[in-house]
Amino acid sequence: MSNQVYAFALDSTLREIKHVCPDVTSIFVFEENAQTIAKDDDTTQETISKTVDAFQTIKAKSETAGGLEAVTIQGSEGRVSIASINNFYLATVTSKEADEKFVDSLTRILIPTVVKLVDQIQPARRRSGEPTMAAELELAEESIQEPIQEPVEYAYQEEAVEETEYPEQSEEEMPTVEETVAEELVESVKEVQADNFEENGLVLPEPPVTQVIVESLGRLQFKSDTVRIDNSIIEQWKDLYGDRIIEEVELDALNGKTIRCKFSPIKDSKYQGKGVIQIPDKIQAAMETSKGKLVMVKPVVE
Amino acid sequence: MAKKKKSMSETADIVFAEESAPIVEAVEEKQVSQDLATRLSKMCERPEVLGFILRDATTATINLKEPEKIVDYALLTSQALESSQEISQIFNLGDFESTLIEGKNMKTLCFVLDENRVNIFMEKDLDHADILNIVRQ
Repeated sequence: MSNQVYAFALDSTLREIKHVCPDVTSIFVFEENAQTIAKDDDTTQETISKTVDAFQTIKAKSETAGGLEAVTIQGSEGRVSIASINNFYLATVTSKEADEKFVDSLTRILIPTVVKLVDQIQPARRRSGEPTMAAELELAEESIQEPIQEPVEYAYQEEAVEETEYPEQSEEEMPTVEETVAEELVESVKEVQADNFEENGLVLPEPPVTQVIVESLGRLQFKSDTVRIDNSIIEQWKDLYGDRIIEEVELDALNGKTIRCKFSPIKDSKYQGKGVIQIPDKIQAAMETSKGKLVMVKPVVE
Repeated sequence: MAKKKKSMSETADIVFAEESAPIVEAVEEKQVSQDLATRLSKMCERPEVLGFILRDATTATINLKEPEKIVDYALLTSQALESSQEISQIFNLGDFESTLIEGKNMKTLCFVLDENRVNIFMEKDLDHADILNIVRQ
């Protein structure tokens, strides 16, 4: 996922922490690669860079301690704490009057919670420049799917929309009033999703699961490890994944049996657009299914 | 402890009198260092304490339960003190007091006491504030 999402969410969180604890004089979050993710308004980038440099030199020597989790520096006038939190590092500078336990509790609970919340809104797999969910957005907006197709792949999207509490509103109508950190967070996620969609165009969604009806293939005319799938379903996958080569599918029978096998399009025109899958007898036997029964099919995208 | 200090002070007075103040100071420092080393060594008897490195201007006293890690520990503590003082200056923390480095397996407490650089290695569960108080007493 883009760090922009974390930046939006954490910026707000850091602001709130400083409001709650005026004794926090400086607070910022940076990444393993020293990139600043979020910071309060009073801390300059130069200060952060110097701090991160000094911190990295300690980190480089800390292998013997099994990797660095936190550094706390106590001075006569204040304290600096740098702690590892969910792939990030949180630096907190407090004055000597600060209640250490309160600040620690607040930062070490609130920041991971916010990061976790962002991860839940957008799965962690999308970190570090991995494909975003623009295509899923696009798909979620399509109201008409193949009648036999179950919207399993959009379950997450629906959940996310519910969490926003604005299910009826479009992106443009989203309120911008920052009432709570969570609301800001959700708003930020949606903004970045929209940005990514505009910038990147079609991207890789979750593999769609499609329910199909089993048809027999016979024993002699086909490879026993290959199923034939309705061409319209394969076309949908092509639309979703573009040039990405899909060589295998995963079949799930209703009894829980799962099989992974090769596939090809159905050649017989009478089956086109009917939502059927032709399965060799051998595979049918392995899945304990038979003609006329339902199975779920999804592409294996690697 | 107090008795020891008194004894050293008397010795210094006898040997160097008042005209050689800097040397007296050095001898006293040496004694502080020895007292500190003794205290730290006693602390090392606790199973949670993994060892210590004590450095003064000229010597270093090392007591580690895993002596093969001496170079790693020495490099870590040396760098930690240097970088901590740097960070301390960046944020105007005043006089440097201590640094706690928490790793996945253990933690290290570094501080300066009477010109001595003290580094104590301990298990993660041990209360480092407690250790710091004991050593500073």
